[in-house]
Order: sequence, then structure tokens, then C-alpha cells
Amino acid sequence: MFASLNKYRHAFLIGLQSNLVYRVNFVVRGFFSLFHLAAVFILWSAAYMGENELGGYSLNETLTYFVTLLILQFFISAFNEDYQISEDIRMGLINQFLLKPINYFGYRFSIFVAARLVTGGLVLIPLLVAMPFLYHLLSFPAEPWRIGVGLGAMALSAMIQFSIAYCFGLLTFWFLEIQGFVILSMAIESLFGGQLFPLDLLPPWAYAISKFLPFYYQMYFPAAIFTGRLSDPTEIMHGFMIQAFWVIALLAVNQLLWVRGLRRHTAVGG
Amino acid sequence: MMHYLRVWLASARYSIVRTLMFRGDFFVWSLVELFWMTVNILTISVIYQHTESIAGWSKYEMILLVGTSMLIQRLLMGFFWSSIFEMGRNVRTGNFDFMLAQPGNVLFMASTRKLDPDGLVNAVIATAIVVYAARQLGLHPSFLDLALYVFMIFCGLVIHYSVLVLSMSLAFFLRNSQGLEGGYFTLTEFSRMPRRAFTGIVARWLFVYLLPVVVVSNAPASTILHGFDPGWALWLGAWTLVCFSVTVLVFNAGLRRYASASS
Repeated sequence: MFASLNKYRHAFLIGLQSNLVYRVNFVVRGFFSLFHLAAVFILWSAAYMGENELGGYSLNETLTYFVTLLILQFFISAFNEDYQISEDIRMGLINQFLLKPINYFGYRFSIFVAARLVTGGLVLIPLLVAMPFLYHLLSFPAEPWRIGVGLGAMALSAMIQFSIAYCFGLLTFWFLEIQGFVILSMAIESLFGGQLFPLDLLPPWAYAISKFLPFYYQMYFPAAIFTGRLSDPTEIMHGFMIQAFWVIALLAVNQLLWVRGLRRHTAVGG
Repeated sequence: MMHYLRVWLASARYSIVRTLMFRGDFFVWSLVELFWMTVNILTISVIYQHTESIAGWSKYEMILLVGTSMLIQRLLMGFFWSSIFEMGRNVRTGNFDFMLAQPGNVLFMASTRKLDPDGLVNAVIATAIVVYAARQLGLHPSFLDLALYVFMIFCGLVIHYSVLVLSMSLAFFLRNSQGLEGGYFTLTEFSRMPRRAFTGIVARWLFVYLLPVVVVSNAPASTILHGFDPGWALWLGAWTLVCFSVTVLVFNAGLRRYASASS
């Protein structure tokens, strides 16, 4: 059992090394994200002009939500995993995995975890640099349970993020070019994942529907736990159940696409 | 001049034939841009469910501003994006040699080679959003205001074009220009906001005065909303000249450094 897991440990370690090579790129990307954060701050500060609360939350609480989202993005978002998988299939590099006793999903997921640990760690550098300007704007809730529960939700969110990227990567078995699909999906994920506005600002009926979609659990769910937008234990428990359902459902879709895709695969190159 | 028009028309004809060959691709990319525009409008609508104004701008004034910003961006996407995006990659791989052998100015040839009809389709939709917002506001701009709006959109297009070419020209100086287009997209986020939203001294100086990101969309939108303002027009005109001149200078300096990478 542990011996079979050992190979994924090695994949993880190689992932760490290969991502650390691009450490400067990631820090620069983190600094670029501060510009995005500045745009968010300017827009929401303007929306709060003359208002103490929007949707029951103060400006500082909303800004805290967006800072949390930025950190989460670097820790759990799929960056270019879909393209890497697509490239493996198109270039025939996937053939080597078909001949070895290693699970391709497990291999890719190990590298994804390593990559996110590196990018997540590195985004803290630009954030620390910006902290003297930010800290007086942040207002995190004090309850310590939120950290443990939020980290659990974050782990499942990472699974959902990766599984969706994996699905898009596997579409290469059917389509030569997946970029259009990926960017199309990014628009939907940004909207229903709460990256453009906190989802609880949606009209109640739309918010209720969003809770059943996987995108809610990609980013918004852990962010809402960390920042105090979700507090009711029953609601959080329900959230975990739907999130677990989506993890299992997406894993099943991954497996289905993999099996069906391999039937079409013609093993060019390798 | 006629020579360049003929060259451009030949490129446009080739791009349209290519699009007709890959109809599925055209459909997906049209949807991509349409979805992103919808996402931007929905974001504005959701915020206005909870507030009356953003920096003194009402919902439809804001939609008119966002529509204007999107119109300029879609025109850039339609006319220039693919060619300029390829430029960085071609400089790196040495394929840029091909551009040097073309019958005309290198910058013109390199930046107008491909047309993306999906971007142009969405430019029509962005125009429809602007018209819809103007109707909701009960605006009746004069012919002169409309002509000025079109001219300012053209200036905005030149500024966007210049910023993108400038970013991609860095490929002549750096070994790797991948991801530089991300900087362009980050800057366009600021062009969807009214000038009065920039209240902090740093934000106001950086985004309103030192970078042309706010003037590009605010000047045409204000012309439709409040009529002609010589201040905005002069400011936009000056930025257009400065941006285009700097871009041509940097591009030509880069071209002199280009040594080709092929064997």
C-alpha cells in the first residue's frame, strides 16, 4: 500500500522542484494580482460611498473577502493543469503512463498539490509587502473553528478545481483545441464561484440555485467560512455534503472521460 | 495608402475564408467573448441591487461606461489581437523573419495580418449595450456628439493597440515575453470604472493621470452622457499621440535588435 503511494510522493517532489524553478514568475504574477486587488478595492469603495452596508456587510468585510479569495486562488485554483494534460495527450506523452503501473490522475494530482503549495507560499510575499496598506482594511471573524473547518472545505475545493481542469484536459481526446472551452468555463466559474462579487449579494433565488452548482464549492464556500459570510452550522454541514457529492461526481466524470477517451486515443509519438 | 488598404483587404479576405473553414471555432470564441461581456454586465447589475450609485454614476450610466470600454476592447480583439499576440511568439522563435519580407511597413504588416470576426461580432453587441443604456437614460445625443464619440472610440482603439504592441515589443529585449498580455488585461479592469471612483491620491495619479486607462473609456462615455467637453477631448488626443509615438519608437528600436533565432 505505502510502496504504491511512494511513486506519487516522488511525483510530488518533482512537482515541487519544477515549480520552484519558476518562483520569480509566480512572485511577479502575485504582484500583478495586487493590481487586480486595487481595481476591486476601487470599485467596491466607490459602491460603498454613502452606504454603510451592502447585503449586510461592511466595506472592510467585503474587502477581506476579496483578499481571502486572492490567497485561495493561489493555493487551490487550477492554473494551467488543463493545458498540461491537453499537451500530454496531443504530443503522445500520455503513452508512457499507459505502459507503467502509475495512475495518470494520481500523478497529475500530486504535481498539482506541489504546484499550489509553491504558488500559495509565494503569493504571501507580495501580500506581506502590501500588508502595511492592507491590514487596517481587513476584518476577519475571531472564531478559531473557522480555520479548521475552512481548511477542510479548501481541500475539497482544490479537488473540485483540479477535477474540472482534468475534465477539460481530457476533452483533447475529442477536440484538438480546448482553449475556447477553458476560457468559456472560466467566465462561468468566475461568476458562480464568487470571484466577481460575494455570491450572497445575488437575489435570494439565484443564490439558492448557486448553492447546488459545483462552482459555489470551488472558491466561495471556503472563502465564506473564513470570512464569516457563512456561520450557521447546519448550512455549513449541508454545504460540506453537497461539496462531497460534487467531488465524487466529478471524479466519476473524470474516470468516464479517461476510459472513453483512451478508446479513441491513437498513441501518436511517445 | 491604397496599397496598404489592398494589403489589408487581402488579409481580411484570407481571415474570413479561414473562419468559414473553422466554423465551430468561430462559434466557441464568439460565445467566449459574449459570456465575458455578460459576466461584466451581471456584476454591475448585482452591485446596483444593493446601492443607488457607484461614485455618483447610476446603473445605466455605468452600463454605458462598461459597454464603451468593452466596445474598444472588442474592436482591438477583432482587428489586431491575434496578430499582435503572435508577434511576441514569432520574435522568440525567429518566425518574425517572415514579416520583414512583407511588402510594406513592418509594424503594419505584423499587426494587421489576421482579423477575428468573432471579436467584431461582439463589437456589434457591445454597441447594442451602449445604445440600450443610452435609451434607458433617455439620452438624445446630437450628431456632433455621436461623431465625437466615434472619433474618441477610434482614439481609444489606438491607445489600446499601442499598449498591447508596446508590451509585446518587450519580446525584442527580453528572452521571454509570455504572460505580458496579462498586464494589458489587468489595466483594462480600471477602464471600466468612473474617474470619480479613484479617490486615493496614488490611485488617482497612477490610473487617471499617469496611465491612459481611465480617460480611454470615460472620455467617450462622458461625451454621450454630458455632451462635448474640450478638456476630455484634448486629454484623450494627447494620450493617443504620445502612446502611438512611443510605441513606434520602441518597436523600431526593438526591430534593430532583432537578430532572428532560426538556424
